[in-house]
Amino acid sequence: MTAVQKRIFINKLALIFSTLSAIIALAFLFWILGVLVMKGMSALNWNIFIYEGAPPGYMESGLKHALVGQLILVGLATGIGVPLGILAGTYLSEYGKNSRLAHTIRDISDIMMSAPSIVIGAFVYAVIVMPMGHFSAWAGAIALAIIMIPIILRTTDDMLQLVPGTLREAAFALGAPKYKVIKDVVYRGAKAGILTGVLLGIARVGGETAPLLFTSFNDNFFTTDLNAAMPSLTVTIFNYAISPYEDWQQLGWAAAFILSMFILGLNILGRVILFAGKRK
Amino acid sequence: MASIIDIKDECALHVRDFEFTYKGALAPSLKKVTMPIAKHSITALIGPSGCGKTTLLRSFNRMHDLYPGNTYAGEIEFEGRNILTPKEDLIHLRTKIGMIFQKPTAFPMSIFDNVAYGMRLQGIKNKTELNDRVEKALKDAAIWKEVSDRLKQDANGLSGGQQQRLCIARAIAVEPEVLLFDEPTSALDPISTQGIEKLVIELKERVSIIIVTHNMQQAARVSDYTGFMYLGELIELGQTEELFVTPKEKLTQEYITGKFG
Repeated sequence: MTAVQKRIFINKLALIFSTLSAIIALAFLFWILGVLVMKGMSALNWNIFIYEGAPPGYMESGLKHALVGQLILVGLATGIGVPLGILAGTYLSEYGKNSRLAHTIRDISDIMMSAPSIVIGAFVYAVIVMPMGHFSAWAGAIALAIIMIPIILRTTDDMLQLVPGTLREAAFALGAPKYKVIKDVVYRGAKAGILTGVLLGIARVGGETAPLLFTSFNDNFFTTDLNAAMPSLTVTIFNYAISPYEDWQQLGWAAAFILSMFILGLNILGRVILFAGKRK
Repeated sequence: MASIIDIKDECALHVRDFEFTYKGALAPSLKKVTMPIAKHSITALIGPSGCGKTTLLRSFNRMHDLYPGNTYAGEIEFEGRNILTPKEDLIHLRTKIGMIFQKPTAFPMSIFDNVAYGMRLQGIKNKTELNDRVEKALKDAAIWKEVSDRLKQDANGLSGGQQQRLCIARAIAVEPEVLLFDEPTSALDPISTQGIEKLVIELKERVSIIIVTHNMQQAARVSDYTGFMYLGELIELGQTEELFVTPKEKLTQEYITGKFG
């Protein structure tokens, strides 16, 4: 074999192995989705949306409690995390810029992004659940918000920095005060990017189980009381999946399917918005 | 040794012994610049890259203040006061001294809102007044015919030349006394450039104009006075024709005849 033939051979080998690896990696993803769709779809029925949790063996059992609880928890977390994340990101990009404080915040935020979510759950347990003496939706939502903030902070920071400096200068040159430059020009210019960050942040916390285990805990019944334990899809999946009862396991599959579709939808929406924003 | 013409007419701005130092720089970027700017006329600033012409231009509306650490010395007189004092109200100053940038800076909003932005900042809310003044500004900027049927559309859909004229409309809508142009045509094609130059000449009826340009022909075509800058100093300021035909300084002559630059 000549040197050239050898290189062509190695080239082909590398191509084959990298393609195979990609296929294997994707195969797992589609396998998971496939099983989820098959098991989940077969477990879906209207009762799921009408009834709340029931002891095993009851026909009239559903996931209404967990669906509503999930929406409340994620909604509250969004309400807390999004304003904080966007404002903090605004500080970094528009005020802190390259100051030492801004860099420190960015670094800490990046570390927080990879912090194990169960640690955040334990933290919220110690500072909120313990002093209050009981689990609560608030505690769960705060734990989720803490996970959400660094994601939104970072995307906001990045997206605002993409807005050209001359656009800011042009607004200043018309006599605009700084807060109006940010509100009227910078936010508008970065609208699509910020929205994408928010959606990805929501999608990220939507699937979290660990931080909820000992903050909002779980409940098998419908509740809207924010000061009491609150059911969520993720903890319900966990509880039903490890139970020995066939009908609970079925409900667990249905819950997993609904949750996955919700998060997949958010991710796709986020990308579509970003793409549409870029194309313009 | 600099040769600065004495302007007999009223001046819009008067720069005296002005020095400007960027944050962290050891030496000033502008050295003892003294320069009268004639009212209702066009003053062009020419000179090789890095000579300080844009730095000087951005001092007139104190744009440098957006980036902390830069320092001014000397005096720029405008409407009877030195605008370099710390108590100068920059928001007010910038409504009096507008600026057009090198690249068009249309805001991410509709054509109408772009032009109305400066007026809204000044608290004008009356719909009829806004409509009238937006229309007038767009007409004055010679872009009304092209956009009158799509005022609600995104300004970023306009061509570069149109966006630049939109930015001029936005700047004149607030009725400034002085307009600063920072190489306004360097990102435009020749036809758009022609349009902007024509517009600049028309505008001097109402505002005093300072234009930084890389293009000596442009300075010769549009301006009444031309200042030649080199290494942070104003070498010569004179009537445009005189400066290009019979420059007083050797450096000016070398630059305009293409010996360096």
